[in-house]
Amino acid sequence: MLRLLRGRLVDLGVVLAGVSVLAFAFIRLIPGDAVAIMLGANAEVTPERIAAMRTRLGLDLPIHEQYVTWLSGVLRGDFGVSIWTGKPVIDEIAAHIWPTLQLTVLALAAAVVLAVPLGILMARLRGRRGEAIVQAGSVVGLTVPPFWLGILMILALATFAPSLQLLGYVPFSEDPLGNVSRLLLPAVALSLPITANLARLLRSTLLEAMQQDYIRTARAKGVPARAVLYRHALRNALIPFVTSVGIMAGYLLSGAIVIEQVFAIPGLGRLLLGAIAERNYPLLQATILLVTTAFVLVNFLVDLLYALIDPRIS
Amino acid sequence: MSRFRKFVLAQGVAASALLGAFSVQAAPLELAVASSPSGLDPHIVTAFSSFQVIDGTVYEGLTALDENLAIVPGLAAAWEISEDKKTYTFSLREGVTFHSGGVMTSKDVAASLQRVMDEKTGSPLASRLAAVESVETPDPSTVVIRLKAPSAPLLSSLTSIAIVPAKYLGDTESLQRQPDGTGAFRFVDWQPNVAIRLTAHEGYWQTGLPKLEGVTYNIVPEAATRQVGLTSGQYQMLPNIDAVTALQVKAQPGIKLAETLELAYSLVGLNVTRAPLDNPKVREAINYAINRSDLVQAALFGAGVPGGPLSPALEQFATPTSDFACFTPSVDKAKALMEEAGVDTPVELKLLVLPRDDTKALAQVIQQQLAAIGIAVTLDIPEIGKFVQDWRNSDFDMFVSLNSGTIEPDDYFYRTFRSGGSTNVFKYANAELDALLDQGREETDPAGRREIYGKVQGMLACDGPAVFLTYGQLYTAMRDGVDGFTIYPNRSLGALKSVTLGK
Repeated sequence: MLRLLRGRLVDLGVVLAGVSVLAFAFIRLIPGDAVAIMLGANAEVTPERIAAMRTRLGLDLPIHEQYVTWLSGVLRGDFGVSIWTGKPVIDEIAAHIWPTLQLTVLALAAAVVLAVPLGILMARLRGRRGEAIVQAGSVVGLTVPPFWLGILMILALATFAPSLQLLGYVPFSEDPLGNVSRLLLPAVALSLPITANLARLLRSTLLEAMQQDYIRTARAKGVPARAVLYRHALRNALIPFVTSVGIMAGYLLSGAIVIEQVFAIPGLGRLLLGAIAERNYPLLQATILLVTTAFVLVNFLVDLLYALIDPRIS
Repeated sequence: MSRFRKFVLAQGVAASALLGAFSVQAAPLELAVASSPSGLDPHIVTAFSSFQVIDGTVYEGLTALDENLAIVPGLAAAWEISEDKKTYTFSLREGVTFHSGGVMTSKDVAASLQRVMDEKTGSPLASRLAAVESVETPDPSTVVIRLKAPSAPLLSSLTSIAIVPAKYLGDTESLQRQPDGTGAFRFVDWQPNVAIRLTAHEGYWQTGLPKLEGVTYNIVPEAATRQVGLTSGQYQMLPNIDAVTALQVKAQPGIKLAETLELAYSLVGLNVTRAPLDNPKVREAINYAINRSDLVQAALFGAGVPGGPLSPALEQFATPTSDFACFTPSVDKAKALMEEAGVDTPVELKLLVLPRDDTKALAQVIQQQLAAIGIAVTLDIPEIGKFVQDWRNSDFDMFVSLNSGTIEPDDYFYRTFRSGGSTNVFKYANAELDALLDQGREETDPAGRREIYGKVQGMLACDGPAVFLTYGQLYTAMRDGVDGFTIYPNRSLGALKSVTLGK
């Protein structure tokens, strides 16, 4: 176990170091520089002002020096300040992280709660009438883009229940009910493909488990069919399911970026898109690094969890 | 009934009583806008996203504009201009207070002008006060502005210079996040990417105004979401929208539109340092080849008009487009001009396109129209950051873009078309035009100015560095029950102070 932990931590370090280089380099490859965009098409932009601004932001240094400066700051916990607002990047992220976390957790919870019964249902329907319909439904669920579903849901809402005001965002501290009800639609839209994915996975692992020797043994000793399915097959089938949930949590973060745009939710996705449009390098670097860290950490935790569920893994 | 259920019931009753209490209270007007401002300092930020939040609502200038873009008194109740046109004496309005408390005096006005002119502020408005020599404050309600030379645009420039408390002189941080002006609405808070809230300024100098409790600018990036929000009643107004959106919401019940001709215009910019665009005859040929009426139909859905160098909305200055020969399209004439210019066709040119739906549509039509005279146009549609960079560096053969027009011809002609002007990305240099522009700057007689700018328009219209295309119709959509709104061609939402909100 300890060896596993140590090995994973080394992996984590390598991945993050790689990401820091990529995040830094890629955003500088986007044509158009921060200063030109910042000063925009204003009348009074002289070359001197552009140069002065560049110096102030440290963008006149060679790129490797900029990287070293940035990295040494990051290692000390200083992520720099946003080019546009002058506020510490960490504050900007803190102000935007909650809606995304809420959305991710809600969507993931919805997906898990729905996927388990659906997966069992699909497994039980195998070879029976109705299987084709459920299978087709799951493929549709898998392929519908959440943002498109989101727009459809908004339109449907406006047509059938125009008095419900579910657009936008209110902080939880101001109006807890309003907060959750406004996050419901985007969470559902976001969770659909993941629900379908997880349900399909559970179906196939359940069916596979049902073929195992221990199931035959359980049946042979007279365990009721229900108990065979839930106590013996399901428990074993859940191991790959848990791994998958972890990976999905990462994908949800990226899905949230698009859905936040559609539902006007002020989360990390809006922050990230805004930062790209403004070429807000420090903000962009920190956000990418943070999201990647979250992704890698979740996978790391899943690996540990995996080891806990299945004692054979160590 | 169990104790628990009783408790739940009681909570429900209490909640509905609370909701009832809320719905009796007048609510603010809910607006939905597409993008977040980058800041709210009126002397630093000039983008529309900021302008529509603060102009005329939070901030006011010494002079103001009415809906026909005529100059009317603002925070100055009246003014006198000396015989030599170099001294302006403004009498300030009585009883004007700032949102942070405190009465506005001549000291605040002088400090505000100083703040704009101060290099450290880096204000893009500084050039509008270039003619100012000194600002004096003989008493608390009088401001005297002395000029180096007569400057006709001064009064219109002052409409765009917000008066802020004197304490912000030398402070370029505070107002970006926390505006403090004299307008009918006071800034409450700004939740990034969510909303900006304004509330009524109780001490507003115009009695009886504002009529609204407040205004909330909801920031909603997705167009479909904004539209649905309006039809469902969550938002009551979508300000400053284009024809396509307007047509879509117009079909919905309970929605009405206000419209006006916009100051902003579309144009094709030509890089006059690159062959064959350095030849005036080729530029004229392009003008003849482009059919502006087709552009209005194809790109603006008929909601707009062909326009010359000045917006037809600027009635006192704009030359009617019928006076420009090249505005009557003629492919034959264009071909003849190309031949005269000695250009070997087909000639290949790249068109840099501002990434917007309307400019992309324009570009495609222009591509076809120019193909007819042997100009093979390749479209280059970059992301906005790249566009701005190439535009600024004059790294293009041609570009198609939208320019925000201004109410003052001098301000915009001078920086855009004078040799070395700060937005003269065409690299155009014409000594005769330069002389006229210098002359226009000092001429204060309205008839004289009309004559000078008439000549300027004539020089720019057919073989200048820009092919002026169209002026669009601008709309504001609102729900029935929102009354008293007036739409402004410059996109100011200052008229919100007279708006009332019925059921």
